[in-house]
Amino acid sequence: MAEMDISSGSNAENQTSDEPATKKRRNQPGMPDPDAEVIALSPKALLATNRFVCEICNKGFQREQNLQLHRRGHNLPWKLKQRTDNEVRKRVYVCPEISCIHHDPARALGDLTGIKKHFCRKHGEKKYKCERCTKIYAVQSDWKAHMKICGSREYRCDCGTLFARKDSFITHRAFCDALAVESTRPQTLKVQAVNGVSSSPPPPPLTPSTGVLSPVLSIQSSAELPENQTVHFQPQPGTAALSTSITTATTTTTVAVTASCGSSTYKRNINSSSGVFASIFASSTLDELAQPSRPPSSYSDLLCAMAGSECSTMDPMSLSLSSSLYLSSSPASLFPTTSQDPNRHYASSPQPALSATALLQKAAQIGATSANSSFLHGLGLATSSSSNPQDNAASATTTALSPSHWNSHMQLENSSFTPRLGPGIPSNGSSGLNDLMIGPSTSLFSNKPTTLDFLGLGMGASEASPDGFSAFLTSIGGGLNAAAASVGGGVSSVGDAWDDPSDRKTSML
Amino acid sequence: MKAELRGNSSSISLQNPSLFNTTQSSISGALKECVGSLDGACIEKLLLHFASALESNDVTLAQQVMWVLNNVASSIGDPNQRLASWFLRALISRAARVSPPTINFDGRSALQRRLMTVTELAGYVDLIPWHRFGFCASNSIIFKAIQGFPRVHILDFSITHCMQWPTLIDALAKRPEGPPSLRISVPSWRPPVHPLLNVSSEEVCQRLTNFAKFKDVPFEINVFEVPPLSTMDAGISQLGSSDLYDLFLNQLNPSTLELRDDEALVINCQNWLRYMPDEQKGSTSHDTSCRDAFLEIIKDLSPCIVTVVDEDCDLGTLSLASRITTCFNYLWIPFDAFETFLPKNSPQRIEYEADIGHKIENIIGFEGIQRIERLESGINLSKRMANKGFQSVPFCEETVKEVKILLDEHASGWGMKKDDDDMLVLTWKGHNSIYATAWVPCSYGVEY
Repeated sequence: MAEMDISSGSNAENQTSDEPATKKRRNQPGMPDPDAEVIALSPKALLATNRFVCEICNKGFQREQNLQLHRRGHNLPWKLKQRTDNEVRKRVYVCPEISCIHHDPARALGDLTGIKKHFCRKHGEKKYKCERCTKIYAVQSDWKAHMKICGSREYRCDCGTLFARKDSFITHRAFCDALAVESTRPQTLKVQAVNGVSSSPPPPPLTPSTGVLSPVLSIQSSAELPENQTVHFQPQPGTAALSTSITTATTTTTVAVTASCGSSTYKRNINSSSGVFASIFASSTLDELAQPSRPPSSYSDLLCAMAGSECSTMDPMSLSLSSSLYLSSSPASLFPTTSQDPNRHYASSPQPALSATALLQKAAQIGATSANSSFLHGLGLATSSSSNPQDNAASATTTALSPSHWNSHMQLENSSFTPRLGPGIPSNGSSGLNDLMIGPSTSLFSNKPTTLDFLGLGMGASEASPDGFSAFLTSIGGGLNAAAASVGGGVSSVGDAWDDPSDRKTSML
Repeated sequence: MKAELRGNSSSISLQNPSLFNTTQSSISGALKECVGSLDGACIEKLLLHFASALESNDVTLAQQVMWVLNNVASSIGDPNQRLASWFLRALISRAARVSPPTINFDGRSALQRRLMTVTELAGYVDLIPWHRFGFCASNSIIFKAIQGFPRVHILDFSITHCMQWPTLIDALAKRPEGPPSLRISVPSWRPPVHPLLNVSSEEVCQRLTNFAKFKDVPFEINVFEVPPLSTMDAGISQLGSSDLYDLFLNQLNPSTLELRDDEALVINCQNWLRYMPDEQKGSTSHDTSCRDAFLEIIKDLSPCIVTVVDEDCDLGTLSLASRITTCFNYLWIPFDAFETFLPKNSPQRIEYEADIGHKIENIIGFEGIQRIERLESGINLSKRMANKGFQSVPFCEETVKEVKILLDEHASGWGMKKDDDDMLVLTWKGHNSIYATAWVPCSYGVEY
């Protein structure tokens, strides 16, 4: 087969494939559409650049059409082949290298350029060399892409700091905590330090989408922050990956780092969310975190901002909260379930499920009357958690709790959801809270309950969700509708309840 | 502007007495000049006025100048203003000691302890080539000099807490013939100047050891004691006694240093010599200063190479007024360099400038043994070394190339001059800042 010239290859293999060709989406690489025409080119043919040659001047062209157009210039008869729709078949190509997996027509690649590059990369000679480092490439475009980034960040210490110069890297490395054998402390502060940070003014705020999760993140972190304790967040030490995707990390916050405890879920999700969360994480007004003494968490501030109430900052984030947070619903386990079983928080509560809309509306009203008049703060989502770092699991998960339940409730109610939340949410500026409300309705509703929710506490959360959420709102107290009549107390009790995580726990259940 | 001033500075101080005319008219004249443009020349003149006021005990003049300077100086302005603010502090501090103090400035509290972590220090030495230049040049020379020796012992006299060595260790690890056995000795005492660390020298040694182990370089490091001052906490007042230096010098003998015969001895003086007092101890020419004594001692240790890196400025014995001028014109360099790299209100920059401010305070505010910053230019040092029986080791092409590469990686204001092959000088916008030289005792018979 390797010697076969261009031919409409046999379709013999098509019948053997069992691919259900139902979806009209792009096939995965190497899993061709069974109806496709398999073409096997020889290496020579594959690598040939100009297969169509003008007979007059011997100029070569990559495509037949181009040759025909060229022939016009010689006053030769020319004819442009029309693409005939009823006959057209997708063409897939196999790799001529026998030992290659893509030699099998069942794993043919659908793109001629793709197969060419593949052949060169895997089976070809690497002719392009990088000047600065030792990398070599067979495909010119790969090489060019590498040259763009090579040399811009050359050295990275284990602690995550990047260096442009070798001597600074070596000196740093020699004394870096990361090299110290016994160290497990959060010197991971450096994870956040990006090369050149010290000398450049803090970059402008990230795009709204990146700003989103920081308040969320900070909830958990602020929960434990004052004592620099491990955050449940548990970003891996390999949040070097994290830090590299962070372009603006100027804050060396303990949150980012303290987690030398690895959480694979976190890392995976960070990577999968392609830096949105990562950047959020970094950009996190981890300024908040830098000031652990600030009682309302940044999350609550966000919510305050969205509610248009007294808190400062974060309006951009409120906007973004809706957009990106919910859009990237899949890598949701940003907050991996902690080692302690979070389920106990969500655990069955006896209260009947409330309609999500109703709950939110009521909660909004509560929020309006509460001293801390942000809606979600009224919901208790604001963590006055700084008060109780010791109950990490509790605070972390409970704060995360509410949105998760909220989400799961969102999933219950598709149609009747109304964005208007009542007086507690002045509709100023931020499409803020409205979007927050709308957000789930649009994107999360399509999620199955088992999908990880907003804060990724999914599994446990969604199982017990309806009950949990109402229980949660129960603890908030005041103003909820009939089902929530059991939700007693006024807002003030909410505040109290939230001040003490153990209470939180009990009231939830 | 600055270049011209440098040339004129000595003439101003020595030949232009009218500058020290302490009448009202000169002050208002100075003020008038300054109104138009608050440049370095202005500030320099004001500082000179102040100095002369101090010298002549003219309180009124001093107050006037201080008032003007206070309006000019700003710790977050442009480099000249920033520098001026530190000068003002130093002068006030000095004045406070001259006249009954209204502000509580004493020598000791001036040295606010800004302690850095090791990693911060690693960053500090690499921000600008001020230190890295010396490291690079010295390491390159040392690397060449120890070729062929299986065991090497480095006596490290420096103020940067062994920041120089990781790159040498790395280079040695990569040698085709493998690394030699490396041993480093550091004194337990160092001048009480910045940069200061928040960890002990043992910790630093430990980290360096870890690093060397990681790089598979046989390594040993120890701190040799200089009793009774075994820590860096020696305050300026303690330096008031020349006994300290005698004690220090006494420690520099083969047995305390545990010199071994089969080792190549390297002596690295990096930003060190200027802290060795240069006052003649006795009246006869037979009595040498501490600095000279130091040089003699190290010569007698038969090192295979001595590297000397220091700041290229003469601030040793001049009168106050000329010291002010010279110092102003010299320390403008790092201030200007910071201006290029760091934003105006960067806390890092303010810290670095404060460090230099302490230096200024010492240079201007103190006399005699308490003035520990006794800078000597490269040229004068070269004469001194020659007098003491050293011959210079020229820099080879490779070293020069390495340093050039280093400087290329920094901003374009940094450059390098080579004076007759013997001395490399780091320049900022053409002004000499740091010199690097290498020496061997004349009796040492190795060809380079």
